[in-house]
Amino acid sequence: MKTLFHILSFEWKTLWRSNSLKVLLLVVFGAGIYGIYFGKFEIDKQQKRIAKVQQYERQQFDSLMLWVELDTTITSNKEKYQQAVSPTGVGWNKHFTYYLTNNAPPAAGLCLGQRDLYPVYYGFNVTDLARQVNTGELANPMKLLTGNFDLSYVFVFLFPLLVVALFYNLYAGEKEGGTLSLLQSQSTSLRTILFSKGLLRLTIIWLLAAVLLLLSFALQGISILENGELFFQWLIIIYGYCLFWVVLMGAAVALRLSSALSAMLGLGIWLIFALITPALLNLFVLANEPLPNRAEMIHAVRTLNGRNWEHPKSFVWDRFYPENPQYNDGDTTNFSKWYYASFTLLDKEANALKAEFEKQVSKRNALLDQWQWLAPAAMVHEKLSTLSDTDRESHLEFVKEVHAYHDGLKELYYARIFKGEQFSSDDLQTLSDKL
Amino acid sequence: MRKLIIKKEILTALRDVRLQVSGGILIVLMLTAVFVGWQGQKQIQEQRAKAQSAMYDTWLNQGNKHPHSAAHYGQFAFKPKPVLSFLDVGLDNYTGISVFLEAHKQNEVLFSAAQDSNGMTRFGEMTAALILQVLLPLLIIFLTFNIFSKEREEGTLKLIHAQGLSMRQLFMGKVWGAYLMVLLIFLPIILLAYLLLDQQSASLDSAVTTKFLLLTFGYAIYFLAFVLLCVLISAFAKNSGLSLLTLLGLWIVSCIILPKATTNLADKVYPTPSQFEFKKTIKNKVKNGINGHNPSDVRLASLRQEVLDEYGVETIDELPVNWSGIAMQAGEEYTDQVYDAEFTKVENIFNRQNRLSEWAGFINPYLAVRNLSMALAGTDFHHHVAFARAAENYRRAFVKKMNKDMEVNHKPGIAYGDYSVGEEMWSSIKPFQYDLPNAATILSNQWRSVVALVFWLAFLFSLSMTYAPKISKL
Repeated sequence: MKTLFHILSFEWKTLWRSNSLKVLLLVVFGAGIYGIYFGKFEIDKQQKRIAKVQQYERQQFDSLMLWVELDTTITSNKEKYQQAVSPTGVGWNKHFTYYLTNNAPPAAGLCLGQRDLYPVYYGFNVTDLARQVNTGELANPMKLLTGNFDLSYVFVFLFPLLVVALFYNLYAGEKEGGTLSLLQSQSTSLRTILFSKGLLRLTIIWLLAAVLLLLSFALQGISILENGELFFQWLIIIYGYCLFWVVLMGAAVALRLSSALSAMLGLGIWLIFALITPALLNLFVLANEPLPNRAEMIHAVRTLNGRNWEHPKSFVWDRFYPENPQYNDGDTTNFSKWYYASFTLLDKEANALKAEFEKQVSKRNALLDQWQWLAPAAMVHEKLSTLSDTDRESHLEFVKEVHAYHDGLKELYYARIFKGEQFSSDDLQTLSDKL
Repeated sequence: MRKLIIKKEILTALRDVRLQVSGGILIVLMLTAVFVGWQGQKQIQEQRAKAQSAMYDTWLNQGNKHPHSAAHYGQFAFKPKPVLSFLDVGLDNYTGISVFLEAHKQNEVLFSAAQDSNGMTRFGEMTAALILQVLLPLLIIFLTFNIFSKEREEGTLKLIHAQGLSMRQLFMGKVWGAYLMVLLIFLPIILLAYLLLDQQSASLDSAVTTKFLLLTFGYAIYFLAFVLLCVLISAFAKNSGLSLLTLLGLWIVSCIILPKATTNLADKVYPTPSQFEFKKTIKNKVKNGINGHNPSDVRLASLRQEVLDEYGVETIDELPVNWSGIAMQAGEEYTDQVYDAEFTKVENIFNRQNRLSEWAGFINPYLAVRNLSMALAGTDFHHHVAFARAAENYRRAFVKKMNKDMEVNHKPGIAYGDYSVGEEMWSSIKPFQYDLPNAATILSNQWRSVVALVFWLAFLFSLSMTYAPKISKL
């Protein structure tokens, strides 16, 4: 134990004197700080968009709340009043466009994940959802392709390079520096010496990771107290990941190659695990397992829409009332009721088809998951985005929330539409509270 | 003498186990990428072509209906998979692949592959481009990092110089030797890739051969520039180790870190508006007029007066043509005008963002070759916009035709449900056809990248010529 400590302290002194180590650590640290800053910047941008949308929605609804109080004996007020109180809206204007936003989870700024691929808000009224959620967000595809320089990127891509850089001349450095024979003449075995040198380097890497992670929580304003579990999960994954690379590099060092050769070997291993295996998996799965044609969904909805309009009104009633008996008062003539009933049919068809597509897509993604172990970098990145709630799954959860929210709104609207009633001030208050 | 040096370099390289292994891996990867990529691209293209023609059939067989109902029923445009995208998938996984075309509104091109995939996508696809842009330079580094320093360390450099060979000649000999090795790997495989192209590919893109040649040429320049850079550094590095570390450091910065940082910076310099703002602006401008003083009801009233005056009648009922058809077409055209202006604004923002990384090609040759390669493969942003515009123009044309038919043939006084047209009308709308931009357009879009590549070659060449005589022999 004493020897170990001795070696460690000596090695630390040598390392500390070398400028290259300082530069290297500074570069990685700088990259980490930039990653923290960039992640925060991106999330702030998303949150600003969300705030704008919410503000707009609130403003619009507040006008409805004012309009419902208007004196309708004045002609110019009539249309506004009608807009506020008719659940079906006025003419082709629907009553109101609601927005549901996907607020950034606490650690989103650490790993932006797949969040930039999807909209963080959807706007919709109580007609069919199917034709209203087919939207994206404006994004430069070049930016999506190159990806985000966030902290997870620094950990997943740059830390392994740091490991390679710190380890490649662990043995060769001694040999080429002429100190190897000196070491071999010591009573401590070379293996122990090399092991302690490695241990010290691992400690430095772990320390840097912990510092960056702590800083990221502090600088991004994430409370460690409230997200303690998240912090430790991140820490454990990153520590494990660094350890994995240290073990790999340890094995490479054990081959006792020259420094040039072990640097090449280290970089080769990095290339294989961080670049080549994920890219190969993508080649085989992404490029060769075609995705379902989602345009089919739009096609199905328009076909059904056409059918609804071409058939006698009973086509919709026969399908709508059995499943929604609560609205059935025997009325089969009212246009608004028929119109809104038809949207429920559209959504039902579209949802079934969407579920079918989702199944195909997840089957394809399961294939990727199955081989993910071949690409540890991708695996860790995926894990980090799952932890941060920024993966594809998290977006699907949000879409589910959108559906539930839309269903809830529909209940309130349909209750009035099918009774042929208008919204009261209380109704509007209820709706306002749901915003 | 130069031949001798070239021959020596090639022989040394061929005998080097490290190079045998890394070269071998590279060749296997390249072959896999080309063949599997080609297979996948064919499959996807077939799928899209099939979807396109199936959707056109539904248009033809929609039955008799009012032309405006047909315009609402709509059509679809599927983005054809560019023929050369199997060599460089570019932005293809991040751009939408199909768009629903209907009356009154411009829909987005939707359903990118990335949205349907998990996080693995973000690690990129193994294509020839990835190998040629990122991995092959690494092989060049392995090939050349000690091309001078080794001879210096072994003392042979002095001997060669004593034979009367100038350092400039020696330098170029080594450059050509290494470059020939690279071409030896690159050319046969790229030729093989060219042979994969069949009749069908040529029918999808008539300029495919030109683009292919330009692509090959672009990479050839990139490799030569990279070889020059590596040999230069090797010539002036204190020792082999330092030369290797410098080169690897440069490689990591230019191929891994800078591309990401450049794009992220671009987004900061030219902020992207949100979809919400984009749509809201269009909606407001359509409602209140482009200048804000010409609201839609005023526009409609003045149009009505114009039409009434033109036919010299007092009321709409007296018109010999269908007023709704006219009004709707006018509405379309006004929306189109607003949409075009806003779309161009966003397009310009993205172009400005991308231009930043095109200019950055002068700092980082990787970016130059990446942008050029994407463009020639038909997978850059310009191609996506070209498709979106082609689809939008197609939409405008068929919606206009429907509105015109309504205006002329749907006589006033006849109920909406009582006027209909059928297959003859539907088949008068030809299937959606999108031709990929030609090579000249691509080059003019990407001239910065082309110039950057040539600049690097010229710069490194003159640098070599100037400094080669100063290479230390000891």
